[in-house]
Amino acid sequence: MNRRKFLKASAGALAASVVVGRVGSALAQGGLEGEDIANLEKGLQASLGKGYKDLVPSQAIKLTAPAIAESGANVPVEIEVNLPAEQVKAIHCFCDKNANPLLFSFQLLGGGVLPYYATRVRVAETAPVRAVVETKDGRLLVASQGVRVTVGGCG
Amino acid sequence: MNILIRFNPARPKAGEEVRVQIVIQHPMEPGTRRDASGKLIPADHINELTVLFDGQPIATVKPGPGTSANPLFAFKMKAAKAGQIKVVAKDLTGKSGERTADLALA
Repeated sequence: MNRRKFLKASAGALAASVVVGRVGSALAQGGLEGEDIANLEKGLQASLGKGYKDLVPSQAIKLTAPAIAESGANVPVEIEVNLPAEQVKAIHCFCDKNANPLLFSFQLLGGGVLPYYATRVRVAETAPVRAVVETKDGRLLVASQGVRVTVGGCG
Repeated sequence: MNILIRFNPARPKAGEEVRVQIVIQHPMEPGTRRDASGKLIPADHINELTVLFDGQPIATVKPGPGTSANPLFAFKMKAAKAGQIKVVAKDLTGKSGERTADLALA
């Protein structure tokens, strides 16, 4: 490869990394296995709307999912949010590699409901699961956990 | 649609946290699976679940195709008073189901 070609190629790579940059930096916490930010972004945009890029990693979210799941068809996920219930509007959950990245949305409508949610999800292949918490004042908090699956849950 | 509702603890004290666990018998077909002859099985999953307390909506869940078969949905609430929990579920084919359970205080 001569110098000109090399410069062209690296400029392209740099531009691509800048585009992925913002969402990528909030989500790429130590490079979880099977990340697919491009696919994830489609799901984020569809369910969170315009502000989907302003994700802030947060210690207030406790996301419990197995690091290794035997069957991707039935992966228990538990999300606990350490914030007052009045501040939390919704809890969303995504998985990077699923054909439809949105796993579920849980909306709190008051009446003493606490920001906690547990369910069982399908994980198509080894990828991170993301919990996104939407607060009443419009912030988006995120926590991720890598899940390795031996048998996919969507095929 | 067969819906089960369980409270844990079964009879909470006033002001105590109670975990409400809902299990629904449903295949939750994601629309990506193929049958034995290789044809795609059409998507058929619950896409809306509403929880009401004494007739007042307190939470909604919108599960996507990425929710397991015979799904479990669990949330927590403060048991301020006794009342009736009602769960209404709808799936993509238009079928729906509902179930009520009485929350009693100790």
